[in-house]
Amino acid sequence: MINQILKFSLFFILLILLQVLLFNNIQFSGYVNPYVYLMFILLLPVEIPSWLLLLLSFLTGFTIDLFCESPGMHTSATVFAGFVRPYILRIIAPRDGFESGQVPSIENYGFRWFLTYALIMVLIHHTTLFYLEVFRFSNFFRTMLRVLLSSLFSVTFIVFLEYYRKPK
Amino acid sequence: MRSLLNFLVRYNNLIIFLILEGIAFYFLATGNTYQNTRVLNSVRNVVQGVEGRINITRTYLSLRDINATLAAENVSLRNRIEQLSNKGNLPFSTITDSVYKQQYIHTSAEVINNSVNKQNNFFTVNKGTRQGLKVDMAVSSQNNVAGMIVRCSENYSVAMSVINIDFRLSARIKMNGYFGSLTWDGKDPRYAVLGEIPQHVSVNIGDTIETTGYSAIFPEGVLVGTVSDFEKMGGDFYKIKVLLATEFRKLQYVDIIGNLKKTEELQLEKLFR
Repeated sequence: MINQILKFSLFFILLILLQVLLFNNIQFSGYVNPYVYLMFILLLPVEIPSWLLLLLSFLTGFTIDLFCESPGMHTSATVFAGFVRPYILRIIAPRDGFESGQVPSIENYGFRWFLTYALIMVLIHHTTLFYLEVFRFSNFFRTMLRVLLSSLFSVTFIVFLEYYRKPK
Repeated sequence: MRSLLNFLVRYNNLIIFLILEGIAFYFLATGNTYQNTRVLNSVRNVVQGVEGRINITRTYLSLRDINATLAAENVSLRNRIEQLSNKGNLPFSTITDSVYKQQYIHTSAEVINNSVNKQNNFFTVNKGTRQGLKVDMAVSSQNNVAGMIVRCSENYSVAMSVINIDFRLSARIKMNGYFGSLTWDGKDPRYAVLGEIPQHVSVNIGDTIETTGYSAIFPEGVLVGTVSDFEKMGGDFYKIKVLLATEFRKLQYVDIIGNLKKTEELQLEKLFR
């Protein structure tokens, strides 16, 4: 248990650093900003209590907000992602259900399943995030384009990182 | 109590979500200037919308009072008009034409009789020699050519319209300055004819026609109308159909323009005739 908490804390710190130091500096032409920190929310154990999930989402978003100097934006989006995660997991549950104590990763449920999962979650998160950022519905499709492109990049990076995540 | 607890337990997920999201939105709205402004604006819009509705209702309810006030105001304004119109003699106001060193004097008058359907059309204005009007003064309507005074009595004057077959006016094409003589052909009160423009001059439909000031009656640059059609006549001249800027059918208030130096100019010119 303690081991797991330690593991996730380390993962959390690593992801935040990766996001802040590397991915926040990737901005192609104002359309693409990948946000891979969502991976932390994605990879929390399936059976985590939802209040803890929400609190951790809040914490993650808040930390990113601190670094991005955009109070509330990432927090709202990540909390929302944390809120919908249980429902998404229920909808796309594998045929024989989740095993207790497992994380929803490629290792456990396969590449295609994880890709679907990550794509849905990232799309939800990015949609919330980008629309909160522009905070209006004029230029709706331009924002939508940003959401789609950024999601594409985020998912790519998340899958990539997921492949090279060493089991600690 | 039990059902409340049940409710809380069942929806604790949602409640925590709402609380956290509420906090996040609080950060969002207070921490970012842009989002803050947008939120404040939309709140303000809603508030103003509601207030607007309330205000409309309130206005509607007080229409009776407003009507009474307006009626009272109407009465007092009517009285004012009576007082003012009894005097009737607004003094000439003086403007100095600094470019041509001509001095024109202006006054306004009201048209009290008008005709457009004859060959010799005249209109009557409600000022005469007492108010300083003289024969051969120019009449313009909203700075468009309307006619010239031909006969004055003490309190009234008769002016010859542009749409009178005896009317002659020196007018030019504003764009290139070629001038000709403007007459009326007795057909349509909306159109006059500009002649004596030579055929080598380029004329376009829509060109502005204005007065020249050669007649010593009209100041220079008063609008006559626009070219609506032109054709080549026998000889070397165009026959240009001019859409008059003045609507003679609804002539109501006119300006009388007097030229203070006209006598001087005419006397000088007489020496060479």
